[in-house]
Amino acid sequence: MSHTPIAHVPFALHGEELRQAVIAYAANPIYRDNEEWENADNPYHRQLRPQVLPHLDFDRVPARDRALEYSSLAAQRILTSIYEADLVFFPKAGLGELNDDFRAYYSPGNRARGELIRPALERFAFGFLDEEVEVSGTWDQAGLETYLESLDVDATGHASLAEQAILNSSDPQRAARMWLIQFAPDFLSEASPMARNVLGYYGNTQSEWFKIVIDEYGYGVHDTKHSQLFERTLESVGLSSELHRYWQYYLVSSLAMNNYFHYLGKNHEHFFRYLGALYYTESTLVDFCRRATSLLDKVFEGQADTRYFTEHVHIDQHHGRMALEKLIKPLIAEHGDQIIPELVRGIEEFRALSTLADEDFATQIAWMDDGPRYKELHGPVHRAILDGKVTAPVAHIVEPFGELSNTHSHEGDELCHIVSGTMRFVSGFNSHQILEAGEGTVIQRNRLHGAIIESHECIYQIHSVGDYQACLS
Amino acid sequence: MPVLTFAVSGPGNCVEVGGVPYVYARTAQGGSVIRASCPHRGGPLHLATPDPTGRQLVCPWHERGTSLGRLRKEIPAVRRGSVVTAVIPGDPGSTVVHRHLPLSPGLSVGCREQF
Repeated sequence: MSHTPIAHVPFALHGEELRQAVIAYAANPIYRDNEEWENADNPYHRQLRPQVLPHLDFDRVPARDRALEYSSLAAQRILTSIYEADLVFFPKAGLGELNDDFRAYYSPGNRARGELIRPALERFAFGFLDEEVEVSGTWDQAGLETYLESLDVDATGHASLAEQAILNSSDPQRAARMWLIQFAPDFLSEASPMARNVLGYYGNTQSEWFKIVIDEYGYGVHDTKHSQLFERTLESVGLSSELHRYWQYYLVSSLAMNNYFHYLGKNHEHFFRYLGALYYTESTLVDFCRRATSLLDKVFEGQADTRYFTEHVHIDQHHGRMALEKLIKPLIAEHGDQIIPELVRGIEEFRALSTLADEDFATQIAWMDDGPRYKELHGPVHRAILDGKVTAPVAHIVEPFGELSNTHSHEGDELCHIVSGTMRFVSGFNSHQILEAGEGTVIQRNRLHGAIIESHECIYQIHSVGDYQACLS
Repeated sequence: MPVLTFAVSGPGNCVEVGGVPYVYARTAQGGSVIRASCPHRGGPLHLATPDPTGRQLVCPWHERGTSLGRLRKEIPAVRRGSVVTAVIPGDPGSTVVHRHLPLSPGLSVGCREQF
């Protein structure tokens, strides 16, 4: 019997269809704005600011210089929610009254809607890496090994921009807490993306991969599970270890770093890219964790529990070696040199994301530290607007007591001007300025911030000035 | 084999290893690190232009064509942003010089800076 094959059309969502699918996903009540800055022991509540999503265009690939914009933050927040629906989370205090949220998060409908939009959001969130990293030429194992040696992963490195930002901050402890918060999406469910590659059937290397995961999970001894060690770190400096308690303080690049491994682990065509990134991260974590231990000891004067980091100084010496000798080399022997470009690409993509995250965090700490200066800048910038030197679109907003603008950012500089009432303007964890009538603040492009109204009512204006420095000339 | 990292454009866009220059070039087929001297008489391949088929790079000295596909495969490399790391054939102890070489428009397709 003959038949005409049905034409295969690859799945892809674009345009209005994509927009509506994103809106439908985020309409789930568990994704609505929070009335508090922190999530109280509820791993299912993730603020996605659904009211803004109709205005965002995810049907494009932002270049690297736009990778920190609000659209990217929105995409990374949504992707975190989608990926983590594959993981099991329970509140520390038990389900209690959260059974409905539990079911809403893991429901087939929520998961299906997430899967529908995931490919488009991954293209949006990580597509810039296609331009940022380019592997060329014919690679063989000898070339790869020479290249890996040149990376000098065992070398003692200098303090990163992020580490310098903490040490030089006007409030190093606040900056260090903000830093630890950025690791929470990764470290509290550590190795979950890696576990995505444990399943299946692919020979001896599968068991070698499993060994690394076993280490991360403390061989089943709960108190040695790496996430447990990180919980002790958080608690030792006065932070909560509840999952996503500090969701609103995650930077776009911090989410991107964690989501990157989910992205590679979820899409098994990127298996070898994952392996390259795994090798690099495990190898370089040794020096990073050594520096982190020293930094936390210094900033918290020996009060921080750093066992999470000292454990990695030890075990990741093994993991880097295991990734190379037990995974990379055997897999090349098995599948040939054709996998090497993907290994190299994973290494360099991870390095590109690390650089982005380093810059992003350091800039955020400067933004937090400079809060009083940005408040002072309100005067001359507002005067330039009043004098007609600058014409900028303006939004007039009236909000009642307790109204909380969940954290977000803007693609250009803005000026917040308080007409009446009182606003607490928040620029990061434990970082705020009180703005009274006649006062305000410049809001720097791409910087995470939020606000809460502290008077009976607050009338304020948001002037989209684009570049505040142009108002000063 | 020396592993060298250098700029994809502007100052320092060329590494010379043992007297042989290499540059990052981008044609319609994509970016790669290529030997910048013609195998014929050592002409300046960085100033060469792809032929109309895009398969050959035509040296400005004697108009001799060199397979672009072969040149693109020769050097394993990875570009991250504005720098490229290449595994260059040769003795690790070879003399290495970083310098600038201008590129023909046909070898800097899509680049912001053209030389």
